[in-house]
Amino acid sequence: MIRLIASRLAQLPLIVLVIYTVTLFLSWQIPGSPLDAPEGKRPPPEVIAAMEAQYNLDSFGTFYFSYLDNASGLRWVREKLEGTAAMERAAAQETGRPYIERSIFDLGPSLQYDNWRTVEIISGSLPVSVAIGALGLAFAVFIGVLAGVVGAARPGSLADGLTFSIALIGVSLPSFVSGTLLLLIFPVMLGWGAIGRLATPLDLLLPAVTLSLPFAAYIARLTRMGMIEALSADYVRTARAKGCSPSRVLFAHALKNAGLPVLSYLGPAAALALTGSFVVERLFSIPGLGQHFVGAVLAKDLFLIIGVVMVFSTMLIVLNLVVDVLYRWIDPRIS
Amino acid sequence: MYKAIAILVLTLVLGAAMVMALGITGGGAASGAGRADIVLINRGDVNTLDVQRMSWLQDFRVASALYEGLLSADRFGSSFELRPALAESWTVSADGLTYVFKLRSTAKWSNGEAVTAEHLRLSWRRAMLPDIVGDYATLFRLIDGAAAFYTWREEQLKAFAAAGGGPRFAEASALWQETVRRYDETVGVRAIDALTLEVKLRRPVAYFLELMAFEAFFPIYTPAAEPYEQPDATSGRISFSTAWTRPPQLISNGRFKLEKWRFRRDMLLVANPHYWNQSDIHARSILLPSVNDPNAQVMAYTTGTVDWLTDVVPDYRAEMIAAKRQFYRENLEAYRTLLQQGLDPVEIDRHLPPDPRAHIHVFPTFGTYWYNINCQPLLPDGTPNAMVDRRVRQALALAIDKKYIVEQIRRSGESIASTMVPPGSLGTYDTKATVRGLGSDVARARQLLVEAGYPGGAGLPVLEILFNRDGGHDLIAQAVSRDWQENLGVSVRLVQKDTKIVGKDLQNKNYVISRAGWFGDYGDPTTFLDLNRSDDNNNDRGYNSPEFDALMHAADAELNVEARMALLAQAEKLIVEVDLPLIPIFHYTSTMLFDAHKVSGVSPHPRQRQDFGLLGRIEGPKGDGVRALTPRSVLPNAAAPALRSAITLDATELLPHALPGTKP
Repeated sequence: MIRLIASRLAQLPLIVLVIYTVTLFLSWQIPGSPLDAPEGKRPPPEVIAAMEAQYNLDSFGTFYFSYLDNASGLRWVREKLEGTAAMERAAAQETGRPYIERSIFDLGPSLQYDNWRTVEIISGSLPVSVAIGALGLAFAVFIGVLAGVVGAARPGSLADGLTFSIALIGVSLPSFVSGTLLLLIFPVMLGWGAIGRLATPLDLLLPAVTLSLPFAAYIARLTRMGMIEALSADYVRTARAKGCSPSRVLFAHALKNAGLPVLSYLGPAAALALTGSFVVERLFSIPGLGQHFVGAVLAKDLFLIIGVVMVFSTMLIVLNLVVDVLYRWIDPRIS
Repeated sequence: MYKAIAILVLTLVLGAAMVMALGITGGGAASGAGRADIVLINRGDVNTLDVQRMSWLQDFRVASALYEGLLSADRFGSSFELRPALAESWTVSADGLTYVFKLRSTAKWSNGEAVTAEHLRLSWRRAMLPDIVGDYATLFRLIDGAAAFYTWREEQLKAFAAAGGGPRFAEASALWQETVRRYDETVGVRAIDALTLEVKLRRPVAYFLELMAFEAFFPIYTPAAEPYEQPDATSGRISFSTAWTRPPQLISNGRFKLEKWRFRRDMLLVANPHYWNQSDIHARSILLPSVNDPNAQVMAYTTGTVDWLTDVVPDYRAEMIAAKRQFYRENLEAYRTLLQQGLDPVEIDRHLPPDPRAHIHVFPTFGTYWYNINCQPLLPDGTPNAMVDRRVRQALALAIDKKYIVEQIRRSGESIASTMVPPGSLGTYDTKATVRGLGSDVARARQLLVEAGYPGGAGLPVLEILFNRDGGHDLIAQAVSRDWQENLGVSVRLVQKDTKIVGKDLQNKNYVISRAGWFGDYGDPTTFLDLNRSDDNNNDRGYNSPEFDALMHAADAELNVEARMALLAQAEKLIVEVDLPLIPIFHYTSTMLFDAHKVSGVSPHPRQRQDFGLLGRIEGPKGDGVRALTPRSVLPNAAAPALRSAITLDATELLPHALPGTKP
């Protein structure tokens, strides 16, 4: 187990480096300049050139290595060792100016949001996404597992048909429809909650529900399939024969095995849910991370694109590792 | 054990979620009792509060509340007159080259310090440096010595970087000292004393005072910014941090100061206690929540969270506008009388009974939607370009049914455009009689094609119309293509691409016909007409006319206002009646939601430069905030253009009484 964790963590930087390279290569191909002004107004070429030079945007190679240098913490370490940081501080003190400490992992500025560093944007929006994502995921697991069990207990029954249709709707209804419906029903028609505000924890409820629907539907289908298979297994018959109550058979015996596919789905699902959803965030005006996956690409904001992709891929890798560890813990047969 | 783990994980996840939920929702500025006087949804999130680096409209609107420039424009009068603001008076030399501004001694920063000429001089230096350059850097080059200063600094930085060899603190610092000295000595901006600023220009600029009311020329509190702008020892450049634009560091001299700014969440402005003219502040606080979804924006307004939605985007706004027309019909008698009194459109609504249908407002803007035509003899692939013949371009312009586009597609009160500069937006530039542009005339269009050697469209290549996705440009392109195919017999292909790719294609002139739009920056026709100069950086059409260039050149040198405007009108006439490098289609409108009975300070002027600092609440938390909105004269005999709403009733509906503009 320890070896698994150690080796996976050792691989992590390598995978992240490959993802960084591919992401930067692809985003470099996005046409246009990240520094384009609105309404297509163009400053003179020398002004554009000066702006590009500020951000090392003039060549792929320069950008690739300078970003890596800053973001990996190498530059920070080097400047500490060489004493450049101390010299800069001394120079600043001499002229009576405040010294701005370089952050260890400097993910650069945002080209789109001139006033913010990528680190600030991510550290400000990630907790929001994680809170809504975790809430949504909890809803999804609760609703999904319950619906799946109910469906599997009596396949072909009215309850099965009902949960299956709800699951189908959940999977196929896009968030912008379900979210708009929720907005129309609760704040607009019933006057519960407000739009464009994030003031009380209750304001997170609607977005979390919207976010949970597709996940819940998928979990319900996974659970139902696993349950039907488990319920026809020998050990369940044995459990029934020895006189276990139907609910104990369902939840304690069958669900334990049927839950494995759900668990393996939860890894990537958690990474997806926790990093936020573009649609849900836009609809409910939530300052989460999801919007940047789309917005940064449209604006060709290289620093932000790489930043959010790095965060997402790291979370995906770590959460998959967590799932693998949980798996082995639950089912010792897996090695 | 499995159950235990499941319960444990679930509890942990839920617990963490709840803790975070409490953490991120805590201190919501919009909550409960502390509602701001005005809550508004801006066009988009603010990108920067550093005025010298701004380029987005939403940033300018906030900047105008936070900062105050030398002059300000009267956004409620029809002539958009320039008035003293930070400067209490100014003089212009006879040759139009030297401006001397006298600053108000009572003007203070939000920390209580006096605003001085030196603050302005140093703020402008930032805009002239290649290090901190922003989109409007070009405007500063009108100042004597600014262009040379920029080039010199750029060359020095290149040399510094080329020398290489790691950080050189002393040299970087020396280069900066030299730069500062050069600015002091060679650039035509001088602080004569604490309250007197002298500006020397490279050539007479008729609209220079207009620029003094433009946000890029506003002062920032340089002592706060300077510590964050220091020379980088490796590149020699000034590396800048925007930390000074965050609360509580941001110090401003306008009606408001920045209280809170949370990325993509909200921004809170509160009244600046040190502003020199306290009686001209009408709201105590303004909250700008970040709501980006067009539908959610409208819902936020209808549920009462928001007082002013500055840009209504969803398609159903056309229905909302229709409902307002119906509202006017139901109050026809009163509406007609108010129109005749010559009130401005917001004031009219204020005198009519409150009704949610009246909350939508549409105003004309300082922007035009047009089609570019590539005028270069050869296309980028080397093939000859049939559009080089201006008769073909005229024919294309004459064959478009713009009325259909405005009434059936846009449906938001836009007016048909036949000129570049929206008529009535500039008081001194009255071209109603002189520049008419081309209307719709299919017979003449066909005749022109025959003359050009393409009878019935025969011999013309397939015309490609390039446009960007979204925004309904596809519908307009379809209508135009149908007009050209049916009226002229030419074949048309529609090419839809992403905005950034379209931008690149325009720059490389890799297109034949393309959709474009333009909003003017300052109050002078050149803000539009300059685009057609052969050497202009935004001349996407490759239009090169010595005649046009000569007219613009003559206008540059002309000091007499009337003569200058006549030259510019001649130049515009050349563009929209003879050469047609672009086909104007409609003038944009601005659609917004607010209750005229509650909110004051929204400008109905066609220049549409909103100043959030002027907002006030007629009733509500403050109770006393009735703005002294004097009814403005928009009577037809006034020299200035009328302030009007783009939501109007047909002339026939206003009968039997006389229409405004005719004698009763």
